[in-house]
Amino acid sequence: MKTRVIVFFYFAILLAATVISACKKNDAPQDETPYNPTYISLHIPAGWPTPPTDIFAGNRPTEEGFQLGKKLFYDGRLSKDGNFPCASCHQQFAAFATFDHDFSHGFNNAFTTRNAPGLFNLAWMTKFHHDGGINHIEVQPLAPLTAQNEMAETIENVLNKLKADTAYPKLFRYAFGSSEINSQRMLKALAQYMGTIVSSNSKYDKVQRGETAFTATELRGYNFFKAKCETCHKEPLFTDNSFRNTGLSVNPFLNDYGRMLITSNKNDSLKFKVPSLRNAALTFPYTHDGRIYSLGGVIDHYRSGIITTQPTLDPLLVNRIAITNAEKTDLLQFLNTLTDTTMTRNARFAQ
Amino acid sequence: MKISNFFIACFFGLLITGCQKNIGDEEKTGTVKITIRNTVKGNPMVLNTGNYTNSFGEQYNITKFKYYLSNVSVTPTPVNTFNGRYYLIDQSNPASLSFSFDAPENVYYSLTFLLGVDSARNVSGAQTGALDPLNDMFWTWNSGYIMAKMEGNSPQSPVINNKVEYHIGGFSGANSVLKNYGIAITNPTGIDVREGKISEIFIDADFDTWWQGVFNLKIAVNPVVTTPGTLAKSISDNYVRMFTITDIINY
Repeated sequence: MKTRVIVFFYFAILLAATVISACKKNDAPQDETPYNPTYISLHIPAGWPTPPTDIFAGNRPTEEGFQLGKKLFYDGRLSKDGNFPCASCHQQFAAFATFDHDFSHGFNNAFTTRNAPGLFNLAWMTKFHHDGGINHIEVQPLAPLTAQNEMAETIENVLNKLKADTAYPKLFRYAFGSSEINSQRMLKALAQYMGTIVSSNSKYDKVQRGETAFTATELRGYNFFKAKCETCHKEPLFTDNSFRNTGLSVNPFLNDYGRMLITSNKNDSLKFKVPSLRNAALTFPYTHDGRIYSLGGVIDHYRSGIITTQPTLDPLLVNRIAITNAEKTDLLQFLNTLTDTTMTRNARFAQ
Repeated sequence: MKISNFFIACFFGLLITGCQKNIGDEEKTGTVKITIRNTVKGNPMVLNTGNYTNSFGEQYNITKFKYYLSNVSVTPTPVNTFNGRYYLIDQSNPASLSFSFDAPENVYYSLTFLLGVDSARNVSGAQTGALDPLNDMFWTWNSGYIMAKMEGNSPQSPVINNKVEYHIGGFSGANSVLKNYGIAITNPTGIDVREGKISEIFIDADFDTWWQGVFNLKIAVNPVVTTPGTLAKSISDNYVRMFTITDIINY
């Protein structure tokens, strides 16, 4: 009796499976291997805030999507002449900024017009570019891909090159379930790669986790930082992602008024996004146009260089910041504890 | 034995309901077909070779004319319920000038749509289909869709190659150019949607409305508008009068 029940039960399941599969539409030829991606998730370090928006809503990251995104990130074919992959301006050893360049190089010996920012902890960022003009990580790559002084390519050409490649259709199938290559999938894969790069293992982080301790100088620097810098460079991301005018003169070659170009609001004139100080030792030169080559130079700007007559100058900076030479030394020591070589040397993010 | 029968009955019951559409519960639907004719002062728009004059005596031609229609519905469906219908109307692509969707059987007396792409889709990352950035209607440096685009030339334009370019966009705040349209149907038979039938709505979209109405758009003064802002908003306030239903045929 019992056996018969079980037999019937299995029979029923078998029938169900057959009928359900018969029920499915069968309009496309089946790929050889079933779509079975490995889902991965964003690593949110202990004590960090939840990202303000879920950049992976509608784009659940998978290992296959991440790997596809990484391949795209390092592929020169995304640029017009093959010389400018994303990674040409975003170098891992420089925390994905351009090492030692105020402006990066693009197609046809062109310069970019702003300093390339480091790429990490982007999942906590709601607006991209120094002026915040990009509102979602997925659409960010469209800007450098199509800019004539950067990768100088059309989306259509990029997609045609990917479609003609022997490896990409397969990789798109692994990541998205079919070999169709379109702009949305390409951009989502890039977002999966860039958006899961997290920098959270600097000495500072280890101190926060109780694994090590600051030196006396670093600790003095940290305390000074908390007193004078923390409002804008908010821990643990070391930015509040706001837009502020820090009293730099207008570069007459660029006439870059920052956030105002996006909002058309004169109150946003000369405001730029507060950059994260994580990995600051690697991302020199500094400011939106890379005009300051050293961290010491940045500190000097805050204590003596700020142009205090600009109407949109941040209210926190109207009196500049009083910093003694000893405090400057301490602060520099502290800023060096924000370098995360675990991230910059992580083979997972490397080509 | 009884238990096994019960299981089998359950399974078959589930399968049948899962597999078949619940015909009894489902509303009958018919097809609504929208056919657009882009015009200039009532005459069919001819790209490149058509020579036009605006109300300020400025001569121009049109090389590109594209715009988004989204959330196209026959009411009483509320206008603000986004139904994911996005259409890119492109004068250079005849296939784009006509599109269809299903609607529940009813007689409707209003057609509603949004000229543009709703703000949510402007901030939700990479899109596909009509909203694919390949369609050259997405700003890469200041994320957002160009809701409507006109390009051409005019001897009155002072800029390079006498270009005229209006890329109208901006989805938030006071300078949003998004326009909701609700066009009442005066024809007594209305849009009579019936199963197995097509209700075709013919619409004229007249470009001449862009030049005046709320704001006097003069080529000599503003030959190029390619950023969100007050100018783009003013032009959108003009083109709010762009659409007219010219005929409805239920067949």
